[in-house]
Amino acid sequence: MTRILAVALALAALLAVACGDDDDEGGSNGSGEGGEEQRLIVSAAASMTEALEACASDFGEAEETEVRLNLAGSDELAAQIRQGVEPDVFAAANTRLPDELHDEDLVAQPVEFATNEFVLAVPADSEIKSVDDLRESGIKIAIGSESVPIGSYTREALAKLPPAQEQAILDNVRSNEPDVKGIVGKVSQGAADAGFVYVTDVNATDGALKAIKLPAAVEPEVTYAASTVNGAENPQDAQAFVDGLTNGPCAQALADAGFGSVQQ
Amino acid sequence: MLRVEATSRVGPLGLDVALAVGAGECLALAGPSGAGKTTILRVAAGLLRPARGLVEADGETWLDTERGIDVPPERRSCGYVFQDYALFPHLSAWQNVAYPLIGVPRRERRARAQELLERFGLGAHADARPQTLSGGERQRVALARMLARSPGVLLLDEPLSALDARTRAGAARALSAVLNDVRVPALLVTHDFAEAAQLGDRVGVIDAGHIVQEGTPTELAAAPRSAFVADFTGAVVLSGTARSGHDGLTLVDLDGGGEITSTDQARGRVAASVFPWEIAIEPVAEAPHGSAQNRVLAEVLTVTAVGNRVRLGLAGPQPLAAEITLASARALDLHTGSRVAATWKAAATRLVAL
Amino acid sequence: MRGWRRFLWFPALLAACLAAALLFLTLPVVAIFVDRSPAELIDSLGEPGALDALWLSLRTTAIAIAIILVIGTPAAYLVATRSFRGRALVITLIELPLVLPPAVAGIALLAAVGPTGILGGTIEALGIELSLTTAGVVVALTFVASPFYVRQAIAAFAAVDRRLLDASRTLGASEARGFLRVMIPSALPGLAAGTALALGRALGEFGATLMFAGSFQGITQTIPLAIYDRFSTEFESALALSAVLVAVSGALLLTVKLVAGAEAMGGWDAADTRAAR
Repeated sequence: MTRILAVALALAALLAVACGDDDDEGGSNGSGEGGEEQRLIVSAAASMTEALEACASDFGEAEETEVRLNLAGSDELAAQIRQGVEPDVFAAANTRLPDELHDEDLVAQPVEFATNEFVLAVPADSEIKSVDDLRESGIKIAIGSESVPIGSYTREALAKLPPAQEQAILDNVRSNEPDVKGIVGKVSQGAADAGFVYVTDVNATDGALKAIKLPAAVEPEVTYAASTVNGAENPQDAQAFVDGLTNGPCAQALADAGFGSVQQ
Repeated sequence: MLRVEATSRVGPLGLDVALAVGAGECLALAGPSGAGKTTILRVAAGLLRPARGLVEADGETWLDTERGIDVPPERRSCGYVFQDYALFPHLSAWQNVAYPLIGVPRRERRARAQELLERFGLGAHADARPQTLSGGERQRVALARMLARSPGVLLLDEPLSALDARTRAGAARALSAVLNDVRVPALLVTHDFAEAAQLGDRVGVIDAGHIVQEGTPTELAAAPRSAFVADFTGAVVLSGTARSGHDGLTLVDLDGGGEITSTDQARGRVAASVFPWEIAIEPVAEAPHGSAQNRVLAEVLTVTAVGNRVRLGLAGPQPLAAEITLASARALDLHTGSRVAATWKAAATRLVAL
Repeated sequence: MRGWRRFLWFPALLAACLAAALLFLTLPVVAIFVDRSPAELIDSLGEPGALDALWLSLRTTAIAIAIILVIGTPAAYLVATRSFRGRALVITLIELPLVLPPAVAGIALLAAVGPTGILGGTIEALGIELSLTTAGVVVALTFVASPFYVRQAIAAFAAVDRRLLDASRTLGASEARGFLRVMIPSALPGLAAGTALALGRALGEFGATLMFAGSFQGITQTIPLAIYDRFSTEFESALALSAVLVAVSGALLLTVKLVAGAEAMGGWDAADTRAAR
């Protein structure tokens, strides 16, 4: 009888610890003494992975906040917000999604903070030299799925090509990946011969892949926008983070990764 | 003719046996658990390979470790009945019986299985699953299945021990009938000497992997070669017809003459058993005295000393064995040819319906 | 604690735990069917991508299960009935994919049979294409689902009374015949349970498939991948596909158990305990 009670108590204690864990953080990042540990949840497009991972702790230290990055395809992040998930910041690889969410009163007015270059990525030793070469039959291409920004940029760009060329290239598509990382993975593994990603993704592969520029007429304009999420737990730090994307350690990190700045 | 020789050591059990069984003969190996009885059967069937061994059946060599011959079980013509019968639970009775009929067209398989089942009185149960049959019925299905292939050798592992006492009698009859019908060598193992005596033409007592004595049941009971055999061979069994007697007792008219009493209740054909050490010997001349109700006149055939005891083989209307102390034997001056009276209590007499 | 309170205390706890478990497990499943109206769900099923995904899932799972049964059953029989040195190691190796998260399974497959993997060159030389193809999906499903079956099969075979096999041999049946006519029927409930588990795992496989075979409608986009593709922009469609997956999985599970007979309903092997009696 006493044994059963003891086991039950232990279980309950375990449960309490597990559930309560979210609410109180003890000494993880930086500032341990004095003030309460604040937390900042940032939902950001997967293409910003390397840049944000580099600058998140710097920002966190400066603002005495722990930054939690939630990285995935921008469409998935938007869907989460629509379903009621409330990060503090939403940073997308396009302006459409933040604008839509703003119209739905889910986020504040979006701010454009960076641009990116849409490129064709191939293995470093590939014989493919241009978008034209993609028409050859037998070439395997990986692109993003329709709903993710990289996917819609890709279709936008291909639509600007002559219809025959566009069709030939689309016929060679073998995979619609949910995010840029999947595309990069397929090309790096040799499963796909080429993929459409951002130049920042190619940079992040450290030479395993090389980027082929697209003709200016075809090149889509890739603008990243971010905003604070309405109802966020940490509006102050959220705003500071969004501001910091254009002016601060994160802006620098983005530039280092290859993102462009917004023409103002 | 079946010959089995096997020498092996599996852990603490050392096996060293040599036996031969003629066609139509049943050799019953009786011994305590762990004595190696089942091992011998498995060697004969090919389910176990001894360190050194020889198995010959009907002129065919099934196992010869010296010459590297080891015929797999499926190609030995053995009929094996397992202790729990090992009937296939997912098949019906007739399907079980038809299992060995490999290569036989389907319609014929059912017909032959049906025929076999009917021979054992189970025709009506052909479609029943083994789980729904009683212990005795299952034993008969197992026998039918074993015979389907007309095996050249019969191997029986404790064929009656899974049955309750009442069913055992009928099952023993069925088994005896089979052994008589099928004129092939049969090797049977059991831990019950009475069962061995009932079913076997010859009995071998086996202990710790060795056959310590072999002979007819009567020989073993009358002239045991060791205390172990003496203790193991247990009861004297007399057959007769029972009827009700006075005071609630049962009277048994023994085959061959004589009448004994038992406190057990039974009617009709019975086997009456009593242990040799419960039989006392008196000179014939003396008038009956004491409470022992049973008194049979017999002539001493054999006198065998077993330690401080003496086993007497007696010839009465039926063979008897009595066990008394050495001292008493000397006092009564017993020797071959002495005429004595064997007495024992009605309360020590067990009756089993036949 | 006195009298009746002492007696009710433990059973009440057991009941409470069961209720909690049931609620937790069934609520999300029920929610799939209840969140939107059936009409909306059925509508969104009509679009071609959904049917493609369903057909692809069924095809690839069927092939994967077939491979698993044909190769896994004899293998499990060998492990279950023979003792040999290294047996424990073999069993652990077979069970390994069980504990691998799908992403790790995907990486593992890429490292082994991907284009740049250990056997990648050999596979290419043989003219076989695995990545970004339906064949690749089958490979991924087979890899993640086979331990579920093989493990159950080993346990099922090991539980069969050895004397049944001995009997089979003494009755003139070769070991192969005994395997087919006695071992498999006796172990059927366990084999069915293993098949059901493997089926469920294969139908629901996502991570390894995405990494190894990619996601393309009609070729490699199985239902789970299709759901993932749709959930951000076409939630109804994702719901509908989820509902289909639940229904199909449930139906397959039920069929497998019915095929194996009434004993399988209980989930545990009953046949072997009867054989001993």
